[in-house]
Amino acid sequence: MLLDLSEEHKEHLAFLPQVDSAVVAEFGRIAVEFLRRGSNPKIYEGAASKKGRGKLNVSSDTVQHGVEGLTYLLTESSKLMISELDFQDSVFVLGFSEELNKLLLQLYLDNRKEIRTILSELAPDLPSYHSLEWRLDVQLASRSLRQQIKPAVTIKLHLNHNGGHNTNVLQTDPATLLHLVQQLEQALEEMKTNHCRRVVRNIK
Amino acid sequence: MELSEYVQKGFQMLADPGAFDSNAFTLLLRAAFQSLLDAQADEAVLDHPDLKQIDPVVLKHCHTAAATYILEAGKHRADKSTLSTYLEDCKFDKERIDLFCTEYQNNKNSLESLLGSIGRSLPHITDVSWRLEYQIKTNQLHKMYRPAYLVTLNVENDDSRTYPEISFSCNMEQLQDLVGKLKDASKSLERATQL
Repeated sequence: MLLDLSEEHKEHLAFLPQVDSAVVAEFGRIAVEFLRRGSNPKIYEGAASKKGRGKLNVSSDTVQHGVEGLTYLLTESSKLMISELDFQDSVFVLGFSEELNKLLLQLYLDNRKEIRTILSELAPDLPSYHSLEWRLDVQLASRSLRQQIKPAVTIKLHLNHNGGHNTNVLQTDPATLLHLVQQLEQALEEMKTNHCRRVVRNIK
Repeated sequence: MELSEYVQKGFQMLADPGAFDSNAFTLLLRAAFQSLLDAQADEAVLDHPDLKQIDPVVLKHCHTAAATYILEAGKHRADKSTLSTYLEDCKFDKERIDLFCTEYQNNKNSLESLLGSIGRSLPHITDVSWRLEYQIKTNQLHKMYRPAYLVTLNVENDDSRTYPEISFSCNMEQLQDLVGKLKDASKSLERATQL
């Protein structure tokens, strides 16, 4: 599958052959860093001005577009998980030098896994399991009844949601606890059944 | 057990065969237990023809006194001797004491169950449902190909009126971690009960 690059995108990337490969590699690093941490406009200023590796003599806008174009190239390729060959063919249409193409391919392959991890965090998100703590309690008395022996399991469930951390404190009785364990063990067993194995094997 | 004068006066009236004959006594006693333990009971519990000849104010007083005492006795897990002592102080004759103790014994379990269920507690897990899915792609990420579980815990709050649910997703390792921890908890529980 080839990447479909828009005219605007190609324009932005057209900046890349005008600088030497060390600079392109640097932009690549900046692009991945932005994907990790969010963008930082000050970097564009720094790169465009006399700082950095010699005068670039371009506007910070151009630098920004270049980096953004590179970012989009990397994220789209990673999202679709395109093969090496497809990536090379997609980039070929930009008319870059072979050295630049190689560099871009390497950039893609080196960062693909990490970018996919970052992209997976963008999916519609349900709270996800983080960890669980438990404690055994025995209720001995309450305001309405003395001399009790009522065992209970207190559970602190830690969940992650939208980058934040939720904690739920819950309780259950011994019988329900056994039931929970049994039900969830069945859930785990399900992945080992023939049906699930067949699906996993055949959907690629 | 702290009991008020009101309760004591009510019992003293109940003890009097002139105010309550045997039949009326038994009826009132049963009505008191019924009011406390039967979810459907209402004021009609005192509407028995054999109780009609008694002054309604007296009837209400004795009914309330009996119910109050029953609750206090249940709360403190009073034994037969405690009950007998108090009833003797209220001038109950032996027959009525025996009747009261028998009725109390018959209803003890339900009473304690009811009292034990009153009170604040943490949200209580009652059930779990799960769903296994195989994730193929999202609009941000294609070719995912990984299994995931969606687990929902059914939870009851102590006011029985809200039933929040707690849902979360997890992968296989996380579910194994969760199940492992719950198994540790239940093994601990087993060991604790064997001590």
